[in-house]
Parts: sequence; C-alpha cells; structure tokens
Amino acid sequence: MAFFDIKGLVTPFTALTQLGKAPHTVTFPYHKKETAERYRGLHYNNIEECIGCGNCSTICMNEAIDMIHVDGVEGGKGDSGLRPRVDNGRCCWCALCVEVCPTGSLNLTKEYIYVTPDADAFLWTPGVSNPEGKEIISFNSSVETSLGMYNRIPMPELEGKERVKSFAEVMLYYSEEEAREEATRCISCGLCTEVCPAHMHIPEYINAIAKGDDNEAIKIIYDNNPLGELCGKVCTRRCEDVCAMQVRGDAVAIRWLKEYAVGRAETADIIKEIVNPEIKEPNGFKVGIVGAGPSGLTAGYYLALKGFDVTIYEANKYAGGMTMYGIPKYRLPMESLDKQIDYMKSIGVKIEFNTKVGKDITFDKIYKSHDAVFVGVGFQVPYKMGIKGEEAVGAFPAVNMLFDVNNGKTPDIGNKVVVIGGGNVAIDGARVSRRLGAEVTIMYRRRVVDMPADWEEIEGAEHEGVEIMPQTIPVEIITDENSKVKAIKYLKAEMVADDKGGRPRPVPIEGSETIMEVSSVIGAIGQEADYSFFTEEALKEIEINRGRMVVDENMMTGMKGVFAGGDAVNRTADAISAIADGFKACKSIEKMLVK
Amino acid sequence: MREKATTLYLGPQHPGITGNMMIKLKVEGDTVVKAETHVGYLHRGFEKLMERRNWLQSFTIVCRICVPEPDPNELNYSRAVEEIEGRTVPERAEWIRTMMMELSRLASYLLWFGGQNGSSGLYTMPQWSVGDRDYILDLFEELTGGRVYHMYIWPGGVRRDLPDGFADKVLQTMDYLEKRLKKYDDLMFANTIFQKRAQGIGWIDPKKAVEWGVVGPPLRAAGIKSDVRIDDPYLIYDKLDFEVPTQTGSDVWSRALIRRFEFEQSISMVRQCIEKMPKGEVYNKIPNPMKWTIPAGDAYVKAESARGEFGYYVVSDGSDKPRRVHVKGPAYVHGVTLLERILVGANIADVSFIMNSLGTCPPEIER
Amino acid sequence: MTDTILDKEQKLVQLLEQTFKKLSGKVVRQRRVTVSVEKELVPSVLSYAKSQLGYIHLSHMSCVDWPENNNFEIIYILWSPADKVQLFIKTLINRENPEIDNVDMIWKHANTYEREIREMYGIQFNGLVGAQEFILEDWDDMPPMRRDFDTVEYVDDNYTFRPGREDAGDVREEIVKRSGEDIPDFAKKYSRD
Repeated sequence: MAFFDIKGLVTPFTALTQLGKAPHTVTFPYHKKETAERYRGLHYNNIEECIGCGNCSTICMNEAIDMIHVDGVEGGKGDSGLRPRVDNGRCCWCALCVEVCPTGSLNLTKEYIYVTPDADAFLWTPGVSNPEGKEIISFNSSVETSLGMYNRIPMPELEGKERVKSFAEVMLYYSEEEAREEATRCISCGLCTEVCPAHMHIPEYINAIAKGDDNEAIKIIYDNNPLGELCGKVCTRRCEDVCAMQVRGDAVAIRWLKEYAVGRAETADIIKEIVNPEIKEPNGFKVGIVGAGPSGLTAGYYLALKGFDVTIYEANKYAGGMTMYGIPKYRLPMESLDKQIDYMKSIGVKIEFNTKVGKDITFDKIYKSHDAVFVGVGFQVPYKMGIKGEEAVGAFPAVNMLFDVNNGKTPDIGNKVVVIGGGNVAIDGARVSRRLGAEVTIMYRRRVVDMPADWEEIEGAEHEGVEIMPQTIPVEIITDENSKVKAIKYLKAEMVADDKGGRPRPVPIEGSETIMEVSSVIGAIGQEADYSFFTEEALKEIEINRGRMVVDENMMTGMKGVFAGGDAVNRTADAISAIADGFKACKSIEKMLVK
Repeated sequence: MREKATTLYLGPQHPGITGNMMIKLKVEGDTVVKAETHVGYLHRGFEKLMERRNWLQSFTIVCRICVPEPDPNELNYSRAVEEIEGRTVPERAEWIRTMMMELSRLASYLLWFGGQNGSSGLYTMPQWSVGDRDYILDLFEELTGGRVYHMYIWPGGVRRDLPDGFADKVLQTMDYLEKRLKKYDDLMFANTIFQKRAQGIGWIDPKKAVEWGVVGPPLRAAGIKSDVRIDDPYLIYDKLDFEVPTQTGSDVWSRALIRRFEFEQSISMVRQCIEKMPKGEVYNKIPNPMKWTIPAGDAYVKAESARGEFGYYVVSDGSDKPRRVHVKGPAYVHGVTLLERILVGANIADVSFIMNSLGTCPPEIER
Repeated sequence: MTDTILDKEQKLVQLLEQTFKKLSGKVVRQRRVTVSVEKELVPSVLSYAKSQLGYIHLSHMSCVDWPENNNFEIIYILWSPADKVQLFIKTLINRENPEIDNVDMIWKHANTYEREIREMYGIQFNGLVGAQEFILEDWDDMPPMRRDFDTVEYVDDNYTFRPGREDAGDVREEIVKRSGEDIPDFAKKYSRD
C-alpha cells in the first residue's frame, strides 16, 4: 500500500453524503419516546387488588420496597393493610417484585421519567401517588409467567369405589417429597395466621417443612395446638381461604402440610420426644374440666404444662368429644386420636372417663374441689327437623348415627337413605351411609354453592356416589303401618333474591311435590347444647344467650372461676375454634390464679 | 542519548480509557517503557453481594458487571445454576438465548467500532455506530423491557416469549446493519488513516498467546482458531452455520478485521435463529424463589462474548444463596498482565488505541 | 448423545493419578475433570499439566471460603485447546495460616488472580511479587471476601441512611400485632426475613 493511498483517503469522505439526511436518532422538535409494550418503567400497584403480603418487599434485593400504612386501606381478613412503597432511588427495575406478586396487582408502567428537585419525593407509593399508572401498565405478570407456584400438589386419595367398601382413611396424605414441594409454594406472608382462630404459626412450620426440619415443624405446631394431627385431618382451615396464592391459584394445602408434619411422629412417645415440652413444677392449683373435647383437652394440656393439677371429666368411654364421636373414622381414625390423647396423658393430664357431670358427679362438687373450672361441653343435642313423621322408626339425627357407628355399632338404615342438610355433618352422615351399603341422597334447601360443608367433602361424597339434590325442601315423612319410614315427600324450590340484601332464599315451587321411596331419613340440620348438668345456682350466674354461654374476653362466664369454650361458646363451632378457646382459657386461668 | 524517564498517569478519568481505570506509564520521550494497571475505581463488590442474595436475586445483579455487553453475564450465571441444579431449558429458550447473545455481540461491536475510532480521533464513526447500536437496543427494549440491562435470561430459560411481530423487526434491523456495514467499510477499514494507525502496533506473540491467557478476537487475530462456541459448544451453536474468522497479523488492525468479519457472521446467525427457532415453552419455572435451594456443587461455564471467553465459576453449598460466584471476564487478563506486556515500546498516543483493541473493560477486572 | 464417551477424560484422570500418588481425580461430565491435590503438589501438577498434557491455558483461578471446615479452597481451571477438556485442580489450605505457593512463573496472569485473592481473602502466596494493593485502597479491615466479613455491619458502621423510611412496617409483625399471636423464639428463625 502506497503511503498516499488515494482511495483510502477519499472514501471516508463519502460520509459527507449523509449531511443532507434527516437525523435518525434525535427528533426535532423533541417528542418523548414511546416505550415498548413490556417496558419496565415506574411501578403501579392496584391498591384494591393488593393484599399487602409483602412478597415484593422480600424479593427486592435493593431493599427499595417498604410496606407502609396507606390512608384509606384498612387491613382485614386476608389483607395486612400495608401497601408497598418504592424508593425509586434504589430501584433497579428488575421487576422481580412483579414476577413474585401473588395477586398480580403490582405492575410496571411505560412511564420512565420522574424528575423532582426533592430527593425525598423519590419515595412514593405506587397506585396511590400515580393513579394514572393504571392506563399505561406495561410489564405485568400472568399466572403463566409469574414465579408464584399456583398449582397445589394433588393430594393422593383412595378411589371412590374403594372408599365405600370400608372405613379406611380416604386421604393418603403427602409423601415427604410432595410435602416439601407443597411447602415450597408458601410465600410466608402470614396472612393466614390472623384468621386461624388459634393463630397457629403457619408460615413458620411450613417453612420448617420446606427446609426439611420436620421435628421443628412439630414443635412449632404444638406451641399453641396440642391436637395438630386432628386439625391436620379435619380442620375447617379458614387459613386457606385467605392464602395469598388463592387469589390467582390454589391455596397452599396448609391443613395437609400440618398433617404431614405431625404424622411423622407415629406414637405418643415419639411426640413427647420431639416436642420435649418444659413441664413446670406443680403449683398446687387444681383445675377441673368438663368434657374431653378439643377445647377441654387443649386447656388441660397447656394447664398441665404450667404445673396445674388437671382433671378432665368425660361422660363417654373415649376422649375427643365430637371429634371422636361425630367425625367418621375414614376422616379421623381412632388410632390418631388415641395417640394424641395418650401423649397428653403422658405429660400429666388426668381424664376421668364414663363420668357424666350432673349424673356421676355434680357440677357443684367439681366447682368446690377445684380452683377453676373449664366447661367445654359442646353441642350434642340435635335440632328437630320440624316436619311431619319425624318420630317414625328409621328417621334419626345424623349425630346419633355417627355416635353409634363410631361406637362400633351398625345401625339398620336399609338400602335407600335421604340425608337432610348441607353441612359437614350431613355429608358425614351421607358418606357413612354409603359405607353401610345404602344408596344416598342429600336434600338441601339452597344451591350446592351455598352448602356450608367443605368443598372437598362435597366432592368426596360425589365421588363415592352420593347424589345431591339441591333446592329441595322435605315436607313430610310418610310411614307404613308399623310407623316405619316408607317415603319422603318434598318440594323443589327456586332461589329468590332477598329484598333486604341477604343471601337468596329458597321458595317452594307450587305443585312440585314429589314422593321418593326411602328406607331411612337422616336429619343433619344442627345441634345445641345440654346445660342440665349445671346446678340452679350456677345457672343464675352463667348467662346463656341463644343456646350459647356468654363469656368475657378472658373466656370466663358470669360465675367466678368458671371458664367456658368450644361449640357451646363460639359461633363458628369447629375444632380449631374450640382449641383456640381452650388455649385462651388456659392463659386466663393462669393469670387469675398464679399472677 | 537516553531521555529521562517520566511517570505519566493515564486515567482514571480519561477519554481514551474504557471505563474507570488508571495506567501508570513510565515513558521515555513518548515511548512507554513500563506500564502498570491500577484498578479499584469502580469496585462494587458484586461477588460479595451475591453471597448475601438468594439464587434468583443474584440474577438481576450480574448484568451490571458489563455495560456494553450484559447478556453473557446473565447467560453464564443462568447456565452455571442450571448445570449445578440439573435444570433443563426448553429448546425455544436456547434459541432465543442464542439470538440474544448474537444481538448483544452486534451491539457490543458497534460500540467497539466507535471506541476504536474515537481513540484515534476519527469521530464520525462513533456517531454512526453508537446511533446504529440504538436500533439493537430498541429490539432489546421490545423483547426484554430494558434497553441496556435486560435481566432477561434467567435460570430455567428466558423471562418472556418474543412479542408479536418481533421476528420481522429483527430481520429489518439486520438488513439495515448489513447495509450500514458497507458504510463502515468506507469510513473505517478503507480509511488510510485508520490503516496506518492500526497496522503493526500492539503486537501479541502468537506462539505465546494461549498461555498468556489471551482469548477472543485478539487470539483469533493471532491466527489461532479458538472460539468457545466451537470448542465447548453451548446453547444451540452446533446447529448454526457460521465461520470463525482468523487473521495472522496479531496487531490492532487484525483484531479490527476479526470483529468486522464476525459482525457479518453474527448478522447471519441472528437470521438463522429467527428462521429455525422452534415453537414451544420458553421457561421451565423455578420454585418459589424465596425457598429455592440448589444442591451442593460447582460449575465453571463460559461463553464467547464479544471480547472473548467469559467465564463464571459458581459454587453452591446446598443453601438458598450462592456460596461463591466468581466472574472471569476476558479483560481480567487482557487489561492487566497482557496490557502491561504489550504496551512496552508503544507510543503514548497508541496506548488507548491498543487498549481498545483488546476490549479492556475495567468492570470485569473488579467485579 | 446418549452414550457419551468419556475416554479422554478417564485417561486424563488415570494419567494424573499415576504420576502423582497423592492425587484423586474424577470425571464430572463430558469435557470436565476435577482433581484434588495437596497444596504442596499444586505447582508440580500445574506445570506437568501444562508442559506434558497440553493444558496450556489457565482459564480461571478462584478461591472459596469454607469457615465451617476451617479451609480455603483454591481452584485452578485449566483448558486444553487440543483435548477440549476443562481440568479443575482443587486444593484446600488451612484457614488459620493460609499460604500456598505462587504459580505466576507458570502462567503470568496467575499473578493478577493471586494478588486479588491475597487481598480479598488474606492468603499469602509464597514468592508472589506485585503491588500489595490491587483493588482495595487503604483497607485496614478484615479481608472482605471472607465469609465472616459482614457487609451489612460494615455499612451500618460506616454510613448513615437517608432518613424518611423509618415508617416501614413488617407484614408478619403487623399480623402478629393485630391477632395477638405469640411466636416462640425458636420458631422465629423460620419467619420471613
């Protein structure tokens, strides 16, 4: 190459041909660049959709997101009441907060310019400070793209056809691997603990399971629930209704995970070894407990740990109350309950079986010989259906049948059973009847969606071949000459919107009267308590309102030193509320006597 | 007569320095007799930070190690995690990743064309090539939501699928760049000034290049056909049709030519990716990132970045956070021992010119 | 692809194990071999691999801190352009008195790695020449890449935070406050942080 390479000197000047052309990177006059469809700009948060779980704040590696109180946002069930505030001085717009937001309320927008001379103003609350962001959302997450694990690990269970052959447990429960994976889905926000009547430490024990520390999980569960396995199998699990994952997917299977953890401890001894509770020296105080149901057992367990001398008076042969006699064994096997009660006995809880208060021992005697009394009697007396022919042979309440079956008897129900009601007891009655070999129909006044029973129970019943007849109102039980049930007469109903804004009412359709031949009619429309064991003096002090004992915030009734809890007190009438009552009463008793 | 040696500090703020670093030169007249690299001006402690962040959080930080070419960082981090965990990646994601890598190589070369010419005073080229790079950034913005830091390639695949009509836009941009490449030829490669400046300077001994740790375009310019994409194939490079150009000059000019030819290869590869990309999923979901643990193990993965072999050594102790992430950028060797070696005997005016030709990037030296 | 042939990898392990008695190696996967050696042997293994086996390229050199075992692990990653195999050479050194031989006479650029490791982990490389300071300047604290160096503590001690974010709440605490839940201490380590 010659030193003066003419071509090499001239060709660069071809650049001059660009001189007349319009610039292609800078616009004049200036207009703002329209950003791409999925541009990651400033945040926008839909305040109404946000549940304040704080997952965005946790994933943010720049610690740019704080959870703060925002005017006009009240926390409640399933909402912490906090909302994210972003420090735009720290944010790097990686949008991981968007990817992990379980509700999809947090998004990034197309807006990217935020100029202010006030450095403090870079702290702002998306959605509150920029309501207009809603219109320019760009980077968002869907169930498909989000990092949330929205699908629950399916629970293995027996085939419907297999189930009706015996009272074997229906649920086969998670294997270790399945439990770990399911536990991984939890984002540890803790919204669930607020609605749990017992305020169990749910995120903590799930996290322990996820990390493989099953024993730690058991210890955490036993911290405020001594019947973890019972709850693991039959809890009404309101926690799952508010689970953050439930907004866009399936709730974390909190109940099954609890079952998994506690189920690791196979005997009472192993439970004792793992939980290894600190049992305080006897403090000399005696507490008497009426009824060995969940509330009584819970109160007894924690009182015994605190050094109280606890005696539980139970009318029946086994402890557990309604969970023993009212829940079919395919949901809660006898061994499971035994194990939990054996463990309680091993730490010093005394249970007097076959001792009915008011008959074998008077309430007065218990009251006088103890420093405090806890009454956890529950609801055992079934409501009447209030229809003609209810007294017929072959018409009986579900709780009575469940009691008999759980006591090892086989009631004669014939081959065609109608169950009336839509709660868990009705479903239990129906599924037990299936196992006794009958064809079963459930009659319920409202729609299936209105049924108070667990959806899992309803589904389970359907799989087992139970027929559900919604919007059906029974009017009469027809009997034969031996006053035995022969048929049932019922009306179909239509749902009519309630003028007062309540839920729709079923109104019978005229002329829809039908008769169905049946061999038994099982009523399951609710129960009430039997307070006849109280002495008259006690009843003067203990206020009973609409069938429930009235207690103060310390679970104490109007009678000093008499505490109460369980179904006979709370409105929710489930095991976990009873456990919560027992736990609370224990604290109050301790406070009253010791401190 | 020997002239008195003077010490000259080049940088840390200097237009000829790529990023913030300082070269302490000992010069006699205008000839360098000794060069010493000093870094520490932008140490951000990424590796330490990653040890405190969980596996997913760390992914957003790695791209910040390199501004001109963040994607090899994302890719390497993701591939290392995938290798330790044994996580598979959907095939479509592999194709998208490859396309990203080649687009990022194009963007990086465009910036490099600008830098190389800028350091020799030819200022039209930077104006053009940095402007054209913006068209690639537009593509990135549309695909990933970010222009410079994409945070797009993550463990398990890529974050989002291609938006509608994206393939056409990529092809249009490729046509445009191909057309522009002719202009660059006129302006840069046919330019006598550039030729005179580039030829024969910054010579690396081809016989010693490999053991000196030279990688990437400088090594290929020394006549050694070495390219991670062929030597240790990753992604779907074994399914693409491309050539690895080599030169024998081992000087700045040869390195420029290598990049010029690879530019064409990359355009062709992007087109092939668009053409052959299969349909399907783009992402094998990771578990809940806050509870995501990786089994104990280690991996060294490398990718061919625009500057050469880019390696990540990642160690897991079985927890939810990395035990160690050690980043090895090509500049770690190029910018320190190699630069110190080949600057000896160079003219002061050529220092930044040579430095550019090696692709020195201080953020890789001090992560 | 199903039957990956690992001949050359296995041969490499055999060769190294025969040559060095106190060396154990294993084939991790295709194109990757890991060997562990005692630290005294490192220079000989490296120069043998370089001069006899064709592992002429030092890809990387790294250090990992294992305080629970009281060890530092030094890793040399070599690459053979002919075999196209990654060779990991790992060695453990005691954390109490960490020192190991310098290898920058085998690869000049090992010098940079060693200077950085010396500075970040406080490991002495016997015979290493080069400025003491590499990245850190006027650093008088513990070598910062050691696991026991707490960055948060360092930041708290040395910097102040801009005020204005004190009202940040914690979701779990908020729920606990509202519901009266009492999380026992032993369970707190499982709470979200």
